[in-house]
Amino acid sequence: MPDSPIVAEGLVRHFGSADDVVKAVDGVDLEVRPGEIFGFLGPNGAGKSTTVRMLATLLRPTGGVARVAGFDVVAEADGVRRNIGVALQDAAIDPLMSGRELLKLQAVLYGLPPSRHAERAAELLERVGLSAAADRRVGTYSGGMRRRLDLALSLIHEPVVLFLDEPTTGLDPMSRISLWEEIRRLNADGTTVLLTTQYLEEADQLADRVAIIDHGVIVREGRAADLKAEVGSPTLLVVVDDDKLDVAAGVLARFGELRPSAEGTLGVGLADGPSLVSAVVRDLDEAGVMVKNLELHEPSLDDVFAEATGYRLEGAT
Amino acid sequence: MTVTTPATRAANTVHTGRMAASVGLAVRSLRNIRRLPSTFLPAVLMPIFQAIAFAGTFFAITQIPGFPTDRSINWFMPLAVVLGSGFAGIGIGLAMVRDIETGFYDRIRMTPAPRSSLITGPWLSALARSLIVTSAVVAVGMLFGARLSGTIVGLLPLYVAGLGVATIGTGWALGLAFLFRDMRGAAIMQLTLFLVLFLTEAQAPIMVMDGWLETVARVNPFTYILRLARSGFLTDTPTRDILLGLGAIVVLSSLTMSFARRQLGRLDR
Amino acid sequence: MTSGLTISHRAQTWAMSRRSITGLRRQPALVIPSMVFPLFFCALGTASFGRAIDLPGFPDVDSYLDFALAGAIVQGILFGSVVSAVGLATDIENGFFDRLLAAPSTRPGIVIGRLASGMTYGAFQTLFFTVVLIPFGLTIRGGVPAVIAMMVAGVFVALAVGGLMGSMAIRTGSSEAVQGAFPLLFVALFFSSAFFPRETMSGIYGALADLNPISYMVEGLRDLVIVGVTWSALFRAIVIPATMAAATVALALHSLRKRVAAS
Repeated sequence: MPDSPIVAEGLVRHFGSADDVVKAVDGVDLEVRPGEIFGFLGPNGAGKSTTVRMLATLLRPTGGVARVAGFDVVAEADGVRRNIGVALQDAAIDPLMSGRELLKLQAVLYGLPPSRHAERAAELLERVGLSAAADRRVGTYSGGMRRRLDLALSLIHEPVVLFLDEPTTGLDPMSRISLWEEIRRLNADGTTVLLTTQYLEEADQLADRVAIIDHGVIVREGRAADLKAEVGSPTLLVVVDDDKLDVAAGVLARFGELRPSAEGTLGVGLADGPSLVSAVVRDLDEAGVMVKNLELHEPSLDDVFAEATGYRLEGAT
Repeated sequence: MTVTTPATRAANTVHTGRMAASVGLAVRSLRNIRRLPSTFLPAVLMPIFQAIAFAGTFFAITQIPGFPTDRSINWFMPLAVVLGSGFAGIGIGLAMVRDIETGFYDRIRMTPAPRSSLITGPWLSALARSLIVTSAVVAVGMLFGARLSGTIVGLLPLYVAGLGVATIGTGWALGLAFLFRDMRGAAIMQLTLFLVLFLTEAQAPIMVMDGWLETVARVNPFTYILRLARSGFLTDTPTRDILLGLGAIVVLSSLTMSFARRQLGRLDR
Repeated sequence: MTSGLTISHRAQTWAMSRRSITGLRRQPALVIPSMVFPLFFCALGTASFGRAIDLPGFPDVDSYLDFALAGAIVQGILFGSVVSAVGLATDIENGFFDRLLAAPSTRPGIVIGRLASGMTYGAFQTLFFTVVLIPFGLTIRGGVPAVIAMMVAGVFVALAVGGLMGSMAIRTGSSEAVQGAFPLLFVALFFSSAFFPRETMSGIYGALADLNPISYMVEGLRDLVIVGVTWSALFRAIVIPATMAAATVALALHSLRKRVAAS
């Protein structure tokens, strides 16, 4: 699509020397549609941040091409920069400056007319709830306040595309929810958002479409609902004694394919639906295995992830 | 969901002016220096101390036959100006390392500010610092008996030398900051500048030197920049030396500034 | 009971000293400035001020190098003392110090251990500078006895400065504060006869140099080099720093007592 806000083809990024290469991103194809929230889901080290940094013109791709807001990220970097807002994983702030001063500096660097600087800064401070702390040095801000300022800094020039790299990592639940609302509001105004996250719930709640990235490549992509439907059958998670794990696995395997699960638990996809649960328990009992705990899960993004990568993103069920 | 196309958002289609961006970054740099007393005070006090301490300790040096002035303060005050200005440039480099390490520099790099303004901004700040240091040292120096050998025009080469060394120091320090991206760059920039400024006529004129130092000082372009700086306070500085000093400033400034610019371009590798 | 504790005292102090010394060896980046800078300035000065030694007021020396060694040693010890004190302050900053206090270790041993490493380093620097400069024309008129006396002097200078910086480290608990105090020491060094004879200075500057105890310390060391082992030289080189050391170490121990009482 010629007017896709973000398009990447075969994006590659290597680090290190020829004989000691780290392939952080190893061939990523992306296409984000205008006005959508696109979720980039994966564990630490999967290549999410590296991909974002390439799209944000901070890092030169080792291979492949990418266009953001219609501009090539390498050849037309300035065009990209004028149209994107970025909030990276660690709030990029200067502790010696006040919030207002930082916003005004941003305004200068983005070429906003001088007459608008004060007004725009005040607007954004109000929007992220930092008006009271605006003239204090950012070094005195809490972690949450720094994140909010970081978001404000990324919005100074009303970008059409917003990149958020793990925006809620480390935030308390209240701040997380309030940030989600803000993201939805921005999106409603027409801003395309690409956000990376390691939280399944965040991707599930916010994203219109999701891409799962693991070891530098995209392993699944699509609407969350569609991806879940692809996994299909519900997962039955069973907790048994460690010495009975092998026996139990043998029993469960008769009911469907075994699925990756957390330590000490076994998971099986019940191809014929939840009605099989009682049969499973009976067969386990007959095999002399005592069931300590049992849970039935409709397919979730967690299952999509587990099926795509072979492990679970978040340790527990 | 309404989709807003780029054209309807006025804010994001404007081109950032080079001058405006440079000034914005320079203002930030100067403001921050003022806010970190641990860097600001030493930056001004050290050169003042050096002028007084060298002039006081080596007071008798002027008695060596043929010494180009009869007041040690005339000899050492311009050295202090050059040292202070050089380290003003280094200070810019140190601040840059800090910005890179904290990640703040990512934010600056993601703006559409012209890449050249990312160098000129800090450079303007270094020039301002050099002016402040030079003026402070001259004021104190005069109090301690420094006297121009001619008219007040003699102050001009001193200020020019200061601005020149500040420029050279800035280019070198920024280039190293971009190259190393951490405190190793900081150590190297300080050490190299220190060495290159002292392996000159810093302490004594070439005519009283022996051996290895004389050879090194003769080929070191900073010797001539020092001569330019001192020309207003010594008797009979040949025009040749003044021209060599100016030439050294121009050449070294271009070299170090393009070094900085080139390293900035490689920051995304 | 007393003899048991005494052995424990010594062993603890020895262990702390070894830890400090190992710490020094493991951080060459901190050690190099205290070795390289003084030698660099020595070399620079010798090449720049070769003709100055004929000026009135200069003692009778064959080369500026003979004159400059004493100042270089004191300069090196000053630089080096910062390292130990910063180490102590860092220990306090990261809580290791409190752990030491909680353990049944000897309190003075904690500080003396650090100072001991500084003293060893001071002796080492004295010897190192002397040996390194001999091939460059350095002549010690006092011979080997003078060198030994100089090393003793180096030990006491290191102890004196170390005690001062140590009390600062204990009082502030901040390595930044200690590093910030270093320039003051450097200033004190310059307002002395470390680099040029006092007799050639004039006015207020000369008066300050006359009042500065560092001048006499350096001159004592210098006389050991250019004159020989005399009572006057020994007194100035050893007794003055030893006296100052007694005062500063007492100050350090007092600061330690106050800190322990406060925690």
